[in-house]
Amino acid sequence: MFGLYETAFGALTWGNILMLAIGSLLIYLGIGKKMEPFLLVPIGFGIFAVNLPLGGLMVYSPEGLPSEVPTLSEMVKAVGEGKVGLLNVVYAYGIQTEVIPLLIFLCLGALTDFAPTIARPISFLFGATAQLGIFVAFLIAYLSGMFTLNEAACVGIIGGSDGPPTVYLTAALAPQLLGPITLVAYSYMALVPIIQPPIIKLLTNKKERAIYMKPQVRKVSKLETILFPIIVFLISALLVPKSVPLIGMFMFGNLLKASGVTDRLAQSAGGAFIDVLTFLLGIMVGALMPAEVFLKSQTLAMVGLALVAFAFSTIGGLLGAKFANLFLKEKINPMIGAAGVSAIPMSARVVQRMGQQANPRNFLLMHAMGPNMAGAIGTSVVAGILLGMLK
Amino acid sequence: MIDWNLVAKITGGGFGVAILVLLILALVTWLVGLGLQRIPAKSKEKSVKDSR
Repeated sequence: MFGLYETAFGALTWGNILMLAIGSLLIYLGIGKKMEPFLLVPIGFGIFAVNLPLGGLMVYSPEGLPSEVPTLSEMVKAVGEGKVGLLNVVYAYGIQTEVIPLLIFLCLGALTDFAPTIARPISFLFGATAQLGIFVAFLIAYLSGMFTLNEAACVGIIGGSDGPPTVYLTAALAPQLLGPITLVAYSYMALVPIIQPPIIKLLTNKKERAIYMKPQVRKVSKLETILFPIIVFLISALLVPKSVPLIGMFMFGNLLKASGVTDRLAQSAGGAFIDVLTFLLGIMVGALMPAEVFLKSQTLAMVGLALVAFAFSTIGGLLGAKFANLFLKEKINPMIGAAGVSAIPMSARVVQRMGQQANPRNFLLMHAMGPNMAGAIGTSVVAGILLGMLK
Repeated sequence: MIDWNLVAKITGGGFGVAILVLLILALVTWLVGLGLQRIPAKSKEKSVKDSR
């Protein structure tokens, strides 16, 4: 009479229960520990959405892939019949088309101040060498035999420590891994303050960490901040055409901010608009993790490889800064190289904290923000390079 | 079967190109900054001379 046969209990698997526990943990970390709450809370909820059977918010094919959304005219009927759910529609039109990650990058551009990078262009070198982890992780992932070439590239890009390029590249090259890769990437970004300090300490001595840098970075003119996104876009587009969607959106968003005449647009992009996109991306990422997709040895391997990627990216950034010091008259604190691992602004904060521990006079935050921003550009360039080679 | 050529191309070539692109960006940013810093300095000198 109460339709007990319709409950989901009978269809619940142990895998679902484990995933529900993981979803609960993410929601707890987001709310209780305030770790990346804007992402972890929607991701956790998205995991609930696909691991409570028969719900139909996101319907999967027997092969474990999200069910195909039919043409627009057939879609209403398909939704009504339960062949696809609301999140299938969001996935098809927002993630498969790569619209959401690109729009998020536009919004991030509108929130970014490139002045520290413009003031010290050598930051680009550290942003470049800090991409080392991407290629090391790619190599290990591919040679392990657990991942195809495309999948290995997506695992590697985690080392860039930048969300939108990771989502963009994975949606293009290995959409079946989008859920776990995005979760691992964002989780590790939150763990940067734990991962980086021991590596930095291992590769630098106390004298190097205590190198004093004057707190003021050169004042950047308004014209420079306006020209910067245009120049970066033009050069990247000419040298790495496949990076245009990412760099183009990022720089367009930044131009809205830098121009000073489109403040309303920049504020909209950096306000409610990015919030909407973030929760759509978050719940989508969670919804891409049904138990049968997430609970695989590949996911565990990704967790290990992501650590390798972050470690080598930190090493690359540090070595880049040490290398630059060989030629610079006024030595820089090599720790700022570690901020080339973008994870904005966490890695810059790590450098600031460690810098003050080594020398209380040091205030390295603005110096570290330069490589931090350059790292974000670097990861987009690398994503473009990988797309050009593999797609 | 591992395609070593492709692996080398992606790891070595990819990393190399990334460094090259970012170094070009660094160079251009530095040159633009240098140029734009000189323009106001020159116009200042000129206005001082004119006032004399």
